[in-house]
Amino acid sequence: MIKAVPPALIFILGAMLIPILKGKLKQVYILVVPAVAFLDILYLIPGTSWVYHFLGYDLIFCTVDRLSLVMGYIFTIIGFLAILYSLHVKQDGQHIAAFLYIGSSLGVVFAGDYFSLFAFWEIMAVASVFLIWFQKDKDSLNAGFRYILMHIFGGCCLLAGIIIYTVSKGSIAVALLEPSPAYWLMLIGVGLNTAFIPIHTWLPDAYPEGTITGSVFLSVFTTKTGVYVLARCFSGVELVAYMGGIMAVYGVTFALLQNDARRLLAYHIISQVGYMVAGVGMGTAQGINGGIAHVFNNILYKALLFMCMGSVMYMTGRRKLSEMGGLARFMPVTCITCIIAALSISGAPGFNGFVSKGMVIASAVEAHMPILELMLILASVGTFLSFVKLGYFCFFARNYEIDSKEAPFNMQLAMGLTAFACLFIGVYPKVLFDILPYSVVHYHPFTPSHIFGVIQLFMLAGVAFILAKAMVVPHRATILDFDYFYRMGGRGLIWVCTVPLSNFRSTLQVRFSRAVYIITRLARNPISILEIPTAYVYLRITKGLRYVSGYSSGETYDEDLYRRPIGVGVLLAIILLFVFALIYFIF
Amino acid sequence: MKKILKRLFILLAVVCIPVGFFIRHEHAVFFWHKIPSIDAVFGVIGAFILIVATAILTSFAQKKEDFYD
Repeated sequence: MIKAVPPALIFILGAMLIPILKGKLKQVYILVVPAVAFLDILYLIPGTSWVYHFLGYDLIFCTVDRLSLVMGYIFTIIGFLAILYSLHVKQDGQHIAAFLYIGSSLGVVFAGDYFSLFAFWEIMAVASVFLIWFQKDKDSLNAGFRYILMHIFGGCCLLAGIIIYTVSKGSIAVALLEPSPAYWLMLIGVGLNTAFIPIHTWLPDAYPEGTITGSVFLSVFTTKTGVYVLARCFSGVELVAYMGGIMAVYGVTFALLQNDARRLLAYHIISQVGYMVAGVGMGTAQGINGGIAHVFNNILYKALLFMCMGSVMYMTGRRKLSEMGGLARFMPVTCITCIIAALSISGAPGFNGFVSKGMVIASAVEAHMPILELMLILASVGTFLSFVKLGYFCFFARNYEIDSKEAPFNMQLAMGLTAFACLFIGVYPKVLFDILPYSVVHYHPFTPSHIFGVIQLFMLAGVAFILAKAMVVPHRATILDFDYFYRMGGRGLIWVCTVPLSNFRSTLQVRFSRAVYIITRLARNPISILEIPTAYVYLRITKGLRYVSGYSSGETYDEDLYRRPIGVGVLLAIILLFVFALIYFIF
Repeated sequence: MKKILKRLFILLAVVCIPVGFFIRHEHAVFFWHKIPSIDAVFGVIGAFILIVATAILTSFAQKKEDFYD
């Protein structure tokens, strides 16, 4: 029997064949790779394998348990669906970047030691930035640079934490961490990828600037691997749980104000990741199960939402809600799948979000965290409101100028399959419960109070939307976020470097050059040191007298007039050499 | 037609509130779990809080589209 290989290897090696293949064969190949990876994960044996001894440490490329398996399943499933969605893309670079991105994310998930985890973590950052840069416009180039700068900062924090941890503990195995300097550094590193407030700004900045298909991949992997590492290393930390609550509310508040459809979705990633972070931060069995179930469900509906908005952008060339409207007539498949995704993310009964969101909120109650429960309910209301806004202004608002066709078949198929998965888990959650990290799930989502509570919440929030619709009408505007401080700080730093520091440098350079010039002139004829002031004074006096008398001979200063024969210089050099030799031999 | 749908929706939302009195929370832990139709209250208060929060945010953080250019 063939031994299962680390799934990361399948994608990373698989990426190398993409440029060689052409046409239909390439399309079949890029769909077969995730299917093979999925089968490979099914055959993985729990425990550790693919261990390599390196510089006195064990690098473990394949640690398999229920937590890594559930992440592996969803990453390969969505990998397949997102590749199906991007099947029409002709640029090999985009496919290669996507393959490396999926592969490195799987690498992080199955890594058993911090060094290999860090290596895959960095590949993930580099591969993903190309999915932004392939958009090939000025905004995406700039946003990509800001994205990679922040990820390099996070990566450095993580590496510093790993090194301190390794030196102090003597072990590099991935394990639950205890508070120490290494712990905080690693939390910043992981928190940056998980979009902790206020180090989340790379996400709503860069994700809307990605390519149409690239943003689907972006919406899935970076933040979810962050949640996975939090579940592994930081579960049961109250601070993390409350950070989740803050993220959930912060994300929806900013999402409500967005005009760019994909930026609205990006803020919702922060909000939804907040639920997952809250779940794993609670650290209870139900909390972790809920958080990971939400990872699974969120990946499906969030990717679907990015697919739908990508289709709208692909077919209409418009990305702002203020320019959309009335698309339900032209793009029925996109509209229906988008409504399914919107109901799923809002947590409507019968859709997958209902199951996992309810699980996280129930675990906040179980863990006796009332504030957190209220924060998550508030975020639920906001999610519903902003998706009513998105659906209404994109598909139903009046717009007689717009004209479009339905998206290509591969895009429709990918959206249809993802929407089916959302519905299937929504009505039959057992399939998800069976693969969660803690095998015994005591949660029953379909209780009358839960179903009716959610209906009440949405109905009344819907009435509020009708009454206050004018408040959330999309405007052509930028809403400042924490990135204002980073951008202004960056501009300030550039100003300090280019104006005061640069002036200081040029002043120093001028002074130093002048000093060197004077020294070289004097060194050329040291005997003239004494004569120069005399000659200078003489010159000044004669010049002054001539000026007073009004006489001008047109005579200029001639340095050769004052220069001594070369022999004097040689004599001086010999004397100096003699003195030097004397000092050398005596001492 | 649009107006009728809107009114029907509001009517359904209002009807939701008394129906909530017949449904009890299975695992009431905090005091609000025992209040009937509390989710309707959360819906209204939540929407109000968010609308106020966005209004405040807009007042100082909303700038022109090309603000950073």
